[in-house]
Amino acid sequence: MKAIVKYRAVYLMMLPIIAYFLIFAYYPLVRGFVISFQQFRLIGDRPFVGLDNYAQVLKDSAFWDTFANTLIIGGSILAIGFIMPIALALLLNEVFASWFKKIVQMVVYLPHLFSWVVVGGMWIMMLSPDTGIVNQLLLALGAEKPIGFMSQEAYARPVMVFTAVWKEVGFTCILYLAAIVSINPSLYEAARIDGANRWHLVRYVTLPQLVSTMKVVLMLHVMSVLKMFDQIFVMRNGAIAGKVDVIMMYTYQKGILEFQIGMATAAGFLVILATLIITFVIRILIRYDEE
Amino acid sequence: MNRNRPYTSWQSRCFDIANIALMLLLMSSMIIPFLNTFALAFSSNLASMTPGIVLWPKEFSVEGFTTVWNRMQLYLPFMNNVIVTVVGTAAHVLLSSMAGYVLVQQGIPGKKLMISFIMITMMVPGEAIMIPLYVVNRDLGLLNTLSSLIIAGLVSGFSVLLMRNFFQSIPGEMAESARMDGAGDFRIFATMYLPLASAGLATVTLFEFVSRWNQFTPALLYISDQTKYTLQIALKSLIVDTDSTSSNFIITTNVRMAGIVIALIPLIAIYPYVQKYFVKGIMLGANKE
Repeated sequence: MKAIVKYRAVYLMMLPIIAYFLIFAYYPLVRGFVISFQQFRLIGDRPFVGLDNYAQVLKDSAFWDTFANTLIIGGSILAIGFIMPIALALLLNEVFASWFKKIVQMVVYLPHLFSWVVVGGMWIMMLSPDTGIVNQLLLALGAEKPIGFMSQEAYARPVMVFTAVWKEVGFTCILYLAAIVSINPSLYEAARIDGANRWHLVRYVTLPQLVSTMKVVLMLHVMSVLKMFDQIFVMRNGAIAGKVDVIMMYTYQKGILEFQIGMATAAGFLVILATLIITFVIRILIRYDEE
Repeated sequence: MNRNRPYTSWQSRCFDIANIALMLLLMSSMIIPFLNTFALAFSSNLASMTPGIVLWPKEFSVEGFTTVWNRMQLYLPFMNNVIVTVVGTAAHVLLSSMAGYVLVQQGIPGKKLMISFIMITMMVPGEAIMIPLYVVNRDLGLLNTLSSLIIAGLVSGFSVLLMRNFFQSIPGEMAESARMDGAGDFRIFATMYLPLASAGLATVTLFEFVSRWNQFTPALLYISDQTKYTLQIALKSLIVDTDSTSSNFIITTNVRMAGIVIALIPLIAIYPYVQKYFVKGIMLGANKE
């Protein structure tokens, strides 16, 4: 008690932060949980309807379509977006000219800085069949007619996966490079004395030293894949919506456009539940907390 | 870096050449989109609509910029974006470092509790509660105000933990002895701790600046009044919505790309600093507790 009085100024400094999290994190969470069991109306009473909202969501085929899209697109981004930066970092580390290495780092990192509106807008323009630079290149290389990347269902998902990986590969790569720099040089010395060649050094020294970074990256990516929204919202269009709309898109449409607040909130909580379960399982699988 | 002598066998040489070629290819895939965007932005209306591989302006002109800035009034959302970014970043940095300061003080009852309280907020994906957040903002009368956007992400667990990590290197006795001398905690925080964690402040400021400048979902949810639009929302309707033809003229490609270039410039301006601090920051922030 005496300590609390002594440190009252410290608590006072913490007060705005606690208040913010209470009002804009905990309260919406609890409020949302309540709403997901209610028939939500703007005016009038809001009767509790038990699990009706959840049942409605789970019976909605549109929900399962977006669920499948999330799994396919998110899973692909997760897999490709996990391997590519590691490969890139290892290859880049084999470059001897440090000025060249610096330039590559600077360039590949660039797209990470920009919003999906900017990146999505650029790619929509570049992939356009009439004047887009991608189709112009393909035509110059001998393609017969331009491809409607953003209007044909067959290309829709690959385009989303490609642009997502394109945007983040450099950033993740730099995380690995930072880890590579901090590897103890004497490990390489020792391996070389034992007769290791260039490939051996990568395979048996560098790669094992990157495992803990890989774990961090994997956790960050898993969390971000389930909540992907901006990219799809910006890059989707009527022609390909069925192939690319993800769960968050479903929530947005139900809640904001159709004003089915109850259903939208229930869908949101299903995502939270999925996130918690998946992160929990992965934490155990990759032994995240050990070391 | 880890080795001091290059390899000389012919296999190694071949690999090096292929590797460099691959890097060049990769770099072009990153650079060409930006070159293309800049080139089109600085082309004339007509030239920007004709097909071709454009890496340099065709018929150099700033028509795109004048149209998007004056006629389409992009300066309004641009100014809104500046306000939200500057105020939001300043408030975020101050509050996050205050919380970080509190969490490194020794012997405070309930410190563990406060840390868990903050860390739990990091486990819930913000997007998943976007509808309840919308309801809360509506109930508080914050819809269609810039305040709602400043409040969205006012503090984050990530930044708090990051600042805490930076403050941890400062010996705790310093605060204790200053307190003995009668200094208030806010003064100790502002005059002793903040100056010693300038790298931390720079990291959080840059992180927050970038994410504020790019903030999209909150603006999409809370703002429907056109005069309160932020840059990203205005750009979305300018660039992406294909029917964004206003009553009396067609939006040409150079206009759209000029919009993108305007959104890129502040971020490119801070890019050299970003490189310096980002990696350190994210690794510190991802540190396991």
